[in-house]
Amino acid sequence: MSVAVLDRPAASARPHRLTDPATWPGAARLALPSTVLFSVTALLMATGWVPVVDRVLAGIGLAVALGATAVSWVARRSPVGLRSLALPVAHLAGIALLYAGTASAAMLFLLLSPLWTLSSHPTRAGIPLATGGTAVVLLAPYLTGEALAVAAPMPGALLLGPLVAAVGSVAVNENTRRVAGQAHDIARLQREQAALLEQVQSRADELDTASRILAARAQTMTSVIDAVTQQSIIGTDRDGTIRVWNPGAERMLGLLRPDVVRKRSILEFHEPEELAAAAESTGSATPLDALVHAARVEGSDVRDWTYVAADGSHRTVSVAITPRADDRGVHAGWNFVGTDMTEARATERMKDQFVSLISHELRTPLSSILGYLELVMDDEDQPLTDEQRQYLSTVERNAQRLLRLVGDLLFTAQVDSGRFTLQPADVDLAAVVRAAEETARVAAAGAGVEIVVDVPADGLVVSGDAVRLGQACDNLVSNAVKFTPSGGQVRLSLERRWQAEDGGLLEVERPGAVPVALLAVADTGMGIPAGEQGELFTRFFRSSTARRNAVPGVGLGLTITKAITTAHGGTLDLVSVEGQGTTFTMTLPVDPAS
Amino acid sequence: MDSALHATGTGAFRVLVADDEDDIRDLVTLAVRKAGCAVVRSVPDGAQALAAARSELPDLAVLDVSMPGATGLEVCTALREDPATSGIRILLLSAGASPDEVARGLSAGADAYLAKPFTVAGLVQQVRALTAGVAA
Repeated sequence: MSVAVLDRPAASARPHRLTDPATWPGAARLALPSTVLFSVTALLMATGWVPVVDRVLAGIGLAVALGATAVSWVARRSPVGLRSLALPVAHLAGIALLYAGTASAAMLFLLLSPLWTLSSHPTRAGIPLATGGTAVVLLAPYLTGEALAVAAPMPGALLLGPLVAAVGSVAVNENTRRVAGQAHDIARLQREQAALLEQVQSRADELDTASRILAARAQTMTSVIDAVTQQSIIGTDRDGTIRVWNPGAERMLGLLRPDVVRKRSILEFHEPEELAAAAESTGSATPLDALVHAARVEGSDVRDWTYVAADGSHRTVSVAITPRADDRGVHAGWNFVGTDMTEARATERMKDQFVSLISHELRTPLSSILGYLELVMDDEDQPLTDEQRQYLSTVERNAQRLLRLVGDLLFTAQVDSGRFTLQPADVDLAAVVRAAEETARVAAAGAGVEIVVDVPADGLVVSGDAVRLGQACDNLVSNAVKFTPSGGQVRLSLERRWQAEDGGLLEVERPGAVPVALLAVADTGMGIPAGEQGELFTRFFRSSTARRNAVPGVGLGLTITKAITTAHGGTLDLVSVEGQGTTFTMTLPVDPAS
Repeated sequence: MDSALHATGTGAFRVLVADDEDDIRDLVTLAVRKAGCAVVRSVPDGAQALAAARSELPDLAVLDVSMPGATGLEVCTALREDPATSGIRILLLSAGASPDEVARGLSAGADAYLAKPFTVAGLVQQVRALTAGVAA
C-alpha cells in the first residue's frame, strides 16, 4: 500500500513583515516619493514660485531631507528597530527648516508624507513623534527667528496642528495595527496549516512505513508457509472456510490455492463417514465441531484423519489441529497441519501382519511338537525309560521357551502398534504373587535360591488384567531367581501404601494421597551397574552382568513388564547395587472403594 | 497313531475335525478319540468343513480359525444361520489368542475357544465337556 505524498508549502515561521518593526518597509518605501516631493520643492524654490526668505535654512532643510532619504535608501537592507523612524523624523526636521527658510504655508503640505509614515508605524512610537514633529515644524519659524517673515500661525493653529496630527496619527495607527493584527492572524493560520500539513505528511510516512513492515512480515510468513511442501498447512475461518492453503496442501490434495481459498470448506476434504462417526462419539452438533472437538477442549489435537483428494483418492494424514487467534486475541479460526502417513501406516500394518503371520507360523509347528511330545510322554501303554523321559523333557522345555519368546515378540508388537488392550477385572494381587512363586519354585530350588513370600493374608485387590499382571509378576520373579546365585534369597512383598501427589509413598493415609498396591521383588543377586539401570526397560537390552554370567534371556521381559505396569496406570522402578542385589518396586492404583 | 486310536476306541459322539495342518488335524483326531468320541470326517479347509457338517450333522465340530476356503469363523457363522446345523457344538482352535480374537470367535457363535498351542489333556477335557450334554 502507498499513500500519495502531499505537496509541502514553504513553511514560514517568521512573523509577518507588516507587524514586525524590524522589517517594516514604511521608511524605505518613503524614499522615492519623498525624493520626488523634495526635488519638486527645490525646483519651486529655484523658480521663485515658492519665495525663499532664508536661503541657508531652506538649503539645510532640503539637504537634510534628501540626505536622510539617500542614507535610508542605502541602508534599507538593515532596518533594525526604531531606526525605521529616523527617516520620517529627518524629513520632519528638513520640513521645519524649509518652513522657517521659506515662510511658506505650502511647506506644511509636505508634512502629510512623514506624518502618514510615522502614524502607520507598527508601534505607537510614531504617534508622539508625529505630534511633536508637527509642533516643532509649526514652531520652527519662531525657533529660528524667522517668525516675522512667516505669516505666523495664531496660537490656535499652533495647538490645533499638533492635535490634528495626534488624532490623525492615532486613527491611522490603530487602523494599521488592526490590519497588521489581521495579517498576523492570517500568517499564524497559514503557519498552523503548514504545521498540520506537515503532521499529515508525517502520519502518511509512518503509515507507509508500517504498511511496508506489515507487507514484509506477511511476505516472510507466506514464504515460510510456501516453503513447506511435504506437510499440508490449511487455515480456516471459524466456519471452516479455507483461508490459507500451502503448496504442501496443493500437492497432497491436488487443488491449487486460487481454486480453494475462500471458495471451499475444510470439510470438503474429509471423509463424511469418518466425520459423522466422530460427531456421534463426541456428541458434536456439526461435522466441523466433531473435527475440532479435541482441539477446542485440549487446546491442540494430533490424530489421524482421512483426507479425500481432488481425484477422490484417500490419504491417511496425521493432522495437528490448533485454534487460531487474530491480532486482538479473538478466536478467528483453525489451523490444520497435516503429514501424509498413508505409506507409513501401510508399513505399520504390514509389520503387524508380518508379526502376526510369523507368530502364527511359529506357533503351529510348536503346537505339533508340544502336542505329540505330550502324547509320547503320557502314553501309559508304552512307558519311557528315565533317560528318554529326560531327553524329551529337555525338548519340551526348549519348545516352551521358544513359545514364550514368540508370545513376547507378538506382545511387544501389539504394544508398539497400540493394539494392546487390557481385560480389566478385580484381581487379587496376593494370589498373583503366590502363583508367581509357585511357578518359579522348581527353578529356584534347582538354583539353590530361597523364595520368601510376604503378602497380606486377606489379599489386596486391584482393578486390572489378571493374565497380564500375572505375566508381569512372573517376569520379575523369574528374573530375580535367574540373577541370584546359589544360597541367595528372593523376597516378594506386597503392601498397601498411599501415593502423595509428588509420587512419594506413604505408610499411612493422608489427604490428597491415593491408595496403591506396592509389590517389591528383592533379590540378593549380582545387581545391575548404575550406568545401565536407565536402559534396563529398553527392548532387547541386556545388562553387562547378565551377559558376563551367561544368564539366559533376550531382553524383552522388563520391556513387557514396564508396558503392562504403565497400561495399568502404575509405576515400575528399581534400586540396585552391583554385587549386593536388586529390588524392583511396582505400584498399581487401588480402587479406593475396594 | 492307529494304536492310540484303537486304544481309546470309538464312541457314540460324532465329531468333525477341520484344520489345514495335517499334523494338527491328526493330533486333534487323537485327542477326540482319547475323549471317547468318533471322528466322522477330517477335512483340510473351510468349504469342505461346511459341506461335511451339512451332510454328516456331527455332534461337535472342531474348527481351526485360519483355514483356506472359508475361515473357521465363517464356517461357524454359516452353521449357526442354518437351522439344520445350528445345533452343532463348535470348538474353535486358533494360534491367535488375544482377547479380541477370542471375543470375535465367541460372538460368531462358537461354544468354546482354545488357543494354540493347546495341551492334549486340555483338548480332551474340552471335548468331553462339550459332548457331555449331547444325548447318546
